[in-house]
Amino acid sequence: MRHFTLLMVAGASCLLATANAAQAQQTIRVGWTIPAEESKYWMMRRPTEFPNLGKTYNIEWTQFQGTAPMTQALAAGALDCATQAPLSLSNGVVGGNLKAYIIAQHVFEKPGGFSVYWAVKDDSPIKSIADLKGKTVGISVIGGGTQGPFNMLLKQNGVDPAKDIKLVEVGFAVSEDALRQGRVDAVNLNQPFAARAEAKGGTRKLFSLSQAMPNIVHILEACRADFVDKNPEAVKAYVRDITSGMKKALANREETLKVVSEVLKAPVAVLDSYLLKDNDFGRDPGAAPNFPAIQKMLDIYAETGMLPKLDAGQFKHPTIVAPLE
Amino acid sequence: MIRRIAPLLACLGLLVAWQLASLALKNDSFPTALEAIRAIPAVLGDKDSLVNFGASLRRMAIGFAAAVVISIPLGLLMGRSRAVASFFNPLLMVIYPVPKAALMPIIMLWLGVGDLSKTLVIFLGVSLPVIYHSFEGAKAVEEKMLWSGAAMGLSAVQRLVRIVLPAALPEILTGCRTGLVLALITMITSEMIARQSGAGNILFNALDMGQYDTVFAMIIIVGAMGIVLDALFERLRARLVRWSEPQFDIPLSFS
Repeated sequence: MRHFTLLMVAGASCLLATANAAQAQQTIRVGWTIPAEESKYWMMRRPTEFPNLGKTYNIEWTQFQGTAPMTQALAAGALDCATQAPLSLSNGVVGGNLKAYIIAQHVFEKPGGFSVYWAVKDDSPIKSIADLKGKTVGISVIGGGTQGPFNMLLKQNGVDPAKDIKLVEVGFAVSEDALRQGRVDAVNLNQPFAARAEAKGGTRKLFSLSQAMPNIVHILEACRADFVDKNPEAVKAYVRDITSGMKKALANREETLKVVSEVLKAPVAVLDSYLLKDNDFGRDPGAAPNFPAIQKMLDIYAETGMLPKLDAGQFKHPTIVAPLE
Repeated sequence: MIRRIAPLLACLGLLVAWQLASLALKNDSFPTALEAIRAIPAVLGDKDSLVNFGASLRRMAIGFAAAVVISIPLGLLMGRSRAVASFFNPLLMVIYPVPKAALMPIIMLWLGVGDLSKTLVIFLGVSLPVIYHSFEGAKAVEEKMLWSGAAMGLSAVQRLVRIVLPAALPEILTGCRTGLVLALITMITSEMIARQSGAGNILFNALDMGQYDTVFAMIIIVGAMGIVLDALFERLRARLVRWSEPQFDIPLSFS
């Protein structure tokens, strides 16, 4: 009988300990994609550098092909936090009744740094945006984040994006090839493909998104509002680690190249041509979201008819936002 | 001799045609066969890649096994019962032409982004050909054999297991063979949108990064996996239904 009682007590203690551990280790289901999320790549590949990760909270990582499916997964409650673009997140709000907070920012177009641009062949007769009339123009995603500023620039230069050009979808990875093969007259380039095309020569920049507005935010980190409200401490710990991950990524470029190479399975030599250099996107040292820039982008999307008018303030949590130390 | 080396010659011919086409087109996104072959050791030599392949093959094995276990009895029942066939046939006709990968975003919303949704896509891909072939195999069983079984005192279930199943086995295994190839296809496509691990990690990341030698190396690896799995399955099939080979037919005339 005594043995039985001891066993029962031991069993109950085990259950209690497990329950406590489960409570302490809240799992956050995080969606990610490639490229340009260096702070998250650090957390994935160098978890020991983040003392809270695995102790106060856990992460279940799922890789997605682009931000739009992650918006669906957030709206359906299949993810708690994910990489988002301002447009995809707003589409989730408008079409999917998603309520979310922007907790950090990954990359943006810093003045003087890399800006997504439309390129033409060196010998092309197209010299200005106005010359695009009647031409076939490639864009990475029709209806994607770059189209708002693109449409605006075309309109400003007297080109109707709906009638005056033939717009075709050409993914970034094949855009250079499509241009050189003559399948499109102009196409948008992103890193690392822009660096590769420039190294090879024979193409030139026609215009870039930064002409529409500076500080364009490309990707940010968003979490479902109900999840943040229910698990504020776990999300705070996550934001602290994103802040710390961004600092590590910027402070140690050599290690960051290795980390990114491990995640992207791309050779370090390819990444070295642009990553964290002047010809790369900008990264805020504290991963702080630039809400005024996001608001400006939402205004452009509204102006070009891609979204109704939205207030970026709805995405701002009063306390849980990078940088958190 | 020629029969033995014919598959190798076919593969070699394909690689030569690919090499020539790539050299003629001079397109960055279409590497030569040699470039793709040279990228294979790097893919297979990476520890992460092996973990990814293991995860994909595990999901494929579970999806395939579950589909076979459920689809064969269902197909046999459909083949022997008009009521069951009338109930399931319209449902299958609706599901059959739908590309299973297209269901992934919806399934993902119901079952989450983990293994379950991917395994379900594989299950759906495999189950339809297995059900269809089991159905056709069971339908083709001669009534006389079933009457004889009934006359010898076999119950309906016993007749299904001891007469219908063996008689339909060659057709069922043809369905399983088709299902195996579809399992491989759906294994990759199920990882297209969301993934935690899997061969899709290597393939789709390489595609995003424009590393076409790796993309085509993956295509060769997946193709080779298909050949190996098919050859293994064919050996198993030959053992199980050796009796149905033409040389075992009893000659009806000596003319």
